[in-house]
Amino acid sequence: MKIDNSLPLEYSTEENRLKILGFWIFLAAEIALFATLFATYFAYQGRTGNGPGTEIFEITPVLINTFALLTSSFTIGLAVNAMRLGNKKAMLTFLGLTLALGLVFLGVEIKEFFTFVHEGATIQTSGYLSILFSTLGTHGAHVSLGFFWGLFIIIQVSKYGLTPHTANKAFIFSLYWHFLDVVWIFIFSFVYLKGMM
Amino acid sequence: MAQLFPKHHVMGFIFSLVLTVVAMAVVVYDLSYTAAMAILLITAFMQAGVQLVMFMHAGESEDKVTIYTNVIYMVFFAIVTILGTLLLFIWDM
Amino acid sequence: MEFFERFAVPHPSFAIYASMVGIALTSLAIVVGLTYFKKWGYLWREWITTVDHKRIGIMYILAALIMLLRGLVDAVMLRAQLAIPDNTILDSQHYNEVFSAHGVIMIMFMAMPFLFGLMNIVTPLQIGARDVAFPRLNAISFWLFFMGAMLFNIAFVVGGAPDAGWTSYFPLASEEFSPSVGTNYYMMSLQLSGLGTLMTGINFLTTIFRMRAPGLKLMQLPMFTWAMLVTNVLIIAVFPLFAVALAFGAMDRMFGTQFFTIGNGGMDMMWANLFWVWGHPEVYILILPAFGIYSEIISTFARRNLYGYKSMVASMVAITILSLVVWAHHFYTMGQGVLANSIFSIATMAIAVPTGIKIFNWLATLRKGKIEFTTPMLWSLAFIPTFLIGGVTGVMLAMASADFQYHNTMFLVAHFHYTIIPGVVYAFIAGLIYWWPKMFGFMLNEKIGKVSFWLVAIFFNVTFFPMFITGLDGQARRMYTYSEETGFGPLNLIASIGAIGLALGFIVLAYNIYWSTRYMPRNIGSDPWNARSLEWSIPSPVPVYNFATLPHVKSSQAFWDAKTKGHNLFPDKVEEIHMPNNSGVPFIMCVIFFIGAFSLIFDMIPLAIASLIGVFACMAYRSFEANHDHGYHIHVKEIEETEERLRGANK
Ligand code: HEM
Ligand SMILES: [Cu+2]
Repeated sequence: MKIDNSLPLEYSTEENRLKILGFWIFLAAEIALFATLFATYFAYQGRTGNGPGTEIFEITPVLINTFALLTSSFTIGLAVNAMRLGNKKAMLTFLGLTLALGLVFLGVEIKEFFTFVHEGATIQTSGYLSILFSTLGTHGAHVSLGFFWGLFIIIQVSKYGLTPHTANKAFIFSLYWHFLDVVWIFIFSFVYLKGMM
Repeated sequence: MAQLFPKHHVMGFIFSLVLTVVAMAVVVYDLSYTAAMAILLITAFMQAGVQLVMFMHAGESEDKVTIYTNVIYMVFFAIVTILGTLLLFIWDM
Repeated sequence: MEFFERFAVPHPSFAIYASMVGIALTSLAIVVGLTYFKKWGYLWREWITTVDHKRIGIMYILAALIMLLRGLVDAVMLRAQLAIPDNTILDSQHYNEVFSAHGVIMIMFMAMPFLFGLMNIVTPLQIGARDVAFPRLNAISFWLFFMGAMLFNIAFVVGGAPDAGWTSYFPLASEEFSPSVGTNYYMMSLQLSGLGTLMTGINFLTTIFRMRAPGLKLMQLPMFTWAMLVTNVLIIAVFPLFAVALAFGAMDRMFGTQFFTIGNGGMDMMWANLFWVWGHPEVYILILPAFGIYSEIISTFARRNLYGYKSMVASMVAITILSLVVWAHHFYTMGQGVLANSIFSIATMAIAVPTGIKIFNWLATLRKGKIEFTTPMLWSLAFIPTFLIGGVTGVMLAMASADFQYHNTMFLVAHFHYTIIPGVVYAFIAGLIYWWPKMFGFMLNEKIGKVSFWLVAIFFNVTFFPMFITGLDGQARRMYTYSEETGFGPLNLIASIGAIGLALGFIVLAYNIYWSTRYMPRNIGSDPWNARSLEWSIPSPVPVYNFATLPHVKSSQAFWDAKTKGHNLFPDKVEEIHMPNNSGVPFIMCVIFFIGAFSLIFDMIPLAIASLIGVFACMAYRSFEANHDHGYHIHVKEIEETEERLRGANK
């Protein structure tokens, strides 16, 4: 394996550079996936059948979630920065912080789902609610997956140190996490805020 | 310590918080539909831009052109799908 | 007992029972054969665990050919039923099942793997790469496709086949109107293979963008590779969308969601919408590679540079973009307004322009060329006029107001067969014959090849041309029979006779493979067609590492220029080559995927969850393993010996 020391660790081998580009292309595919959910969501607005509509939204949990995710996106940015400085300890701290914020997000979202169901809004109630739960759920599932992925990276960085391999993984994970933040911003704006207008 | 909190990251973070607060205006004030949607669209896309450029380092490698083309292409596809679907199911139904 | 009842076939017939016995006997024969000849180890080491793009490509093509056979049997059954009025070979339910299977298998499990097979084998060689960007992911893609295909193929003997058409429109495909598990099979098997397709798209885009040989610029890529590039660009956009649509459909059927229901705010038409946002680009995912193959073959056998390289690329890019904005032409009659229909109608007609440019470029390449009528060339030449008919009738269908007349008639069936068979099937067969020597080190027999070509080329028209006429006269598609008074009888009989000839053509093709494998000479050299691009500069069959040293490229037909102008393609010294290790994890993971999908189909949730965990366990395992799995090296001496042996024998 040829290692190019003039570049940050995560870019230092050709294999790493391939993986980063490949992951960007994967993220593009994810854009298409969420676009489909949004397209369907917009078309189903108001198609609530006998069930409730956007009146089930509450602003507080949504705000908590938004700030949790925005901050986590900031901390993972700092983790990558620390990684580039070669500061393993700071990097792991920031990564841990990121995942903790992710957990907060998941906790609040799950609680929100329970309230919805309590108010008679389930995924089976109407076309509108089916797509609402699917959109939120798809994002939530991504965050959950991201949580375990992040955990794996923490374990591997602690175990093997900062190698071209682990650094590459951590960097790619950061791309994924930022991307989920972007998706959340769109959900926040066009599902929640628009719904509460 | 300062090294661990580089300026452009902090700026990006503050910027994203500000954008969120601005977007909140649509629920706080009684705006027209057009004005509210305009605010949401602008703040959301700016947020995405902040993440892409400041946090995701989209422009730092030699694949910069590929990466940006890739993202723009997919945003195009996303918009076509969403607008086309709205055209078929809402605007011209 | 109750547990097992769900696996029974709801609407059995003698043919289905016979197939069950047939499948059981064949499987048994394979197991016994492998054990008797002690081939299990070979199969596992050399094929199942392989990450070599060439072997994966060969497996794709093998699967595609088998699926072609199955699709063909279905087609012959359909035509047999329609041969005469009021026929009773198939009842309506079986007719529905057979045309659904035919459509899905031909598009998803024949054309797609065929495309991936050629893409896998040729693309890395044309850009001078040693493998694809992510060899292991490539193996996962293949096995996902394979498991999806197998899942779909067992449907008709375990639980019942899907019967709502390859388009599976709701509400017909809902629990209410399609109560058997058939449509669940549709949703899950396409989900699996679609996931594989998406991964392939990502993999090959990365490969083409980053792994080109030194000096090879994007605007110098051979036309086939360009076609692969735009194809994969379409794949990464529309396959995620299709995955979502399939998930919605599956959730409606399995978990009682309301996406495509009629009451409660659901919208059945949304399925059609999403299906075609994917479906129309999908037909271009099939045709663009075909355009690439034809470009290679036509310029090789006209012995000329491809005419208008830049306009060829530009028109492909234009087709790619346009194909994303025309999907509603598949449902003009669904009730949207005039404005929407007009927009989609005009966009659709616009596609004819870049397509026309390509046709003129091929004609201009042929003009003044010294044409050699080899079999791949014959298939390519037959493509041009036949596909033209398909395209022109496409433009007829594209006119929204006129389409109300012939939408969902046999006219439409004739249109898409006139585009897909000459466009896609001819191309893949031509490509298979053309690249066959590169894959296996011997050629296919030209004489037998020509017999199969003429059979297919003639009987294709006999089969499908009459459908234009009966369609315009009002014969609806997907109807299992028609009455004597309609007067459709004679033309339908002609079409059915044509189908027999067509099937015969494919059988001769299969025979050619068998015959050539046994009797064709093996000392053909590395460049039997006197061709132009890089894959012909290395030995056939290609050694594992493809290129002993990476080529240095200066033009879009690097090898031709090297031959005629005396460039040295390989100036570098041989160095040690790093290769990835084989792995059984992709296969095992995909078997678990299969089990999970199967359990969802039959509503066995605990097993499905267990499978999901199993899949994640495989990924976690790999994540750790990757830290110390560094592949292996091939030493200089070994490379030199291999090259000496392969090239020596060729001279
Ligand atoms: C100039 C090019 C083309 C035009 C203008 C065109 C137009 C159309 C239109 C308008 C329809 C829908 C008709 C209806 O449902 O009433 C259609 C159906 C279809 N086309 Fe094309 N087409 C073109 C090329 C192709 C190509 C290249 C392929 C395949 C490789 C293709 C495959 C299909 C298929 C599979 C269907 C039918 C799907 C179904 O309903 O089952 N077309 N085409
Ligand atoms: Cu179409």
